[in-house]
Amino acid sequence: MRLLTHNMLSSNIKGVVNGFPLKIEVVKVVEKEVDFNIDFLKNMFHKVEWKALAEASRTMGYTELPENVDAAMLDSDDFLHKFHHALLELHLEEGALVCPETGRKFPVQKGIPNMLLHEDEV
Amino acid sequence: MLNSTCYSTSSIQSLNPTCPSSLISTLHKPEIHYISQNTRTRIVTYNTKRRRRRMASVAAMNAVSSSQEVGVQDQKELKKGIAELYDESSGIWEDIWGDHMHHGYYEPQSSVELSDHRAAQIRMIEQALTFASLNEDATKKPTSIVDVGCGIGGSSRYLAKKYGAQAKGITLSPVQAQRAQALADAQGLGDKVSFQVADALNQPFPDGQFDLVWSMESGEHMPDKEKFVGELARVAAPGGTIILVTWCHRDLSPSEESLLPEEKELLNKICKSFYLPAWCSTADYVKLLQSNSLQDIKAADWSENVAPFWPAVIKSALTWKGFTSVIRSGWKTIKAALAMPLMIEGYKKGLIKFAIITCRKPE
Repeated sequence: MRLLTHNMLSSNIKGVVNGFPLKIEVVKVVEKEVDFNIDFLKNMFHKVEWKALAEASRTMGYTELPENVDAAMLDSDDFLHKFHHALLELHLEEGALVCPETGRKFPVQKGIPNMLLHEDEV
Repeated sequence: MLNSTCYSTSSIQSLNPTCPSSLISTLHKPEIHYISQNTRTRIVTYNTKRRRRRMASVAAMNAVSSSQEVGVQDQKELKKGIAELYDESSGIWEDIWGDHMHHGYYEPQSSVELSDHRAAQIRMIEQALTFASLNEDATKKPTSIVDVGCGIGGSSRYLAKKYGAQAKGITLSPVQAQRAQALADAQGLGDKVSFQVADALNQPFPDGQFDLVWSMESGEHMPDKEKFVGELARVAAPGGTIILVTWCHRDLSPSEESLLPEEKELLNKICKSFYLPAWCSTADYVKLLQSNSLQDIKAADWSENVAPFWPAVIKSALTWKGFTSVIRSGWKTIKAALAMPLMIEGYKKGLIKFAIITCRKPE
């Protein structure tokens, strides 16, 4: 699971008011190289929840992302490469996503999150 | 040009055959749009700007929910069965049929070679997009797509590639999700497409994320149609499109409370083998979409355009490779294979319909 995906997942347990963002528990992180695409990054920049991405990236062991950003940073090649790396190249292979309100853990195995709810959570 | 059989004039007059007659008079007459005179294709468009929308919503819940009482424990069993069936059989399906786990779209009455089926499956995707008016304007491309009941990700990858979009697929089957991701990575789409094990009745996404919500032949597995449609509507972005292609039973006539006993019996046999909950009709889906305030609802019956499919699947299962693969896969796969002639029977009797229903979420 890469952080682009994490940025779009939320806990949908019944009664949870704000299930986003999910916290990350890391067991295994893998880095996979992805082609650099400036247009894609500039597009995604406006769509991602930055704080969630920055926090998730730190949890995954990559601390290079700035806490606060603005669109002017898109002119910086250095920034774009860091954004690219965090968003697309860090993969949580094994671990869990944790509901921010209930603490319930959604397992991530072989890079695939399992977001199925138990009967008492629907 | 391909013909598709849509609602006949008489059913259009009755609008929603499962609606109580008192409701029919409060609803607008639908507009019938002729897509193209020379295909003689008619599509029923349901005008959703109704004053009595709340009444429609209540009727929709009553009409559909009474047939949907699948208890929580049953739902759990069903979902487990679905996951296991696909964990067991996806591999052999992919081996023989490729990565699209849906019907092909054919000229009615045509006879097709096995090699044509893959092209027909692609045609099905393209026809569905055209029906939803997503193939017209190159500037109106979806950028964020969810594939609800994604199988091994055939549609997700195809749509992501076609539109250069991000796609997320959800499935109950961990084996399918793994395979889907592996195929995406192998095809260089790993940065565009991702897959999660998740329940279509509780999609793990915040509201309004996707400008295309795609459900290709998964609706028939959903035990709570109301919740299923509610989730499709919830995750659709304002202005987004929902495309639902699914197996339905025939619409009921105004005098009918339910299907005939022999019809129910046939569907029950199919349900047991394919891990399906109770079926609903196309009209039921339309009502649910209406009750979610969705607009530009269009529906059509493509049963004639998928007729060659099941005979072809049966034929492929009877080849040496097919037969041995089915036997080796496991009991669930064998049972499903044995139920295939029942699908043909259902279609021939006009009981089973291959339906497409599309709509748009208001801006």
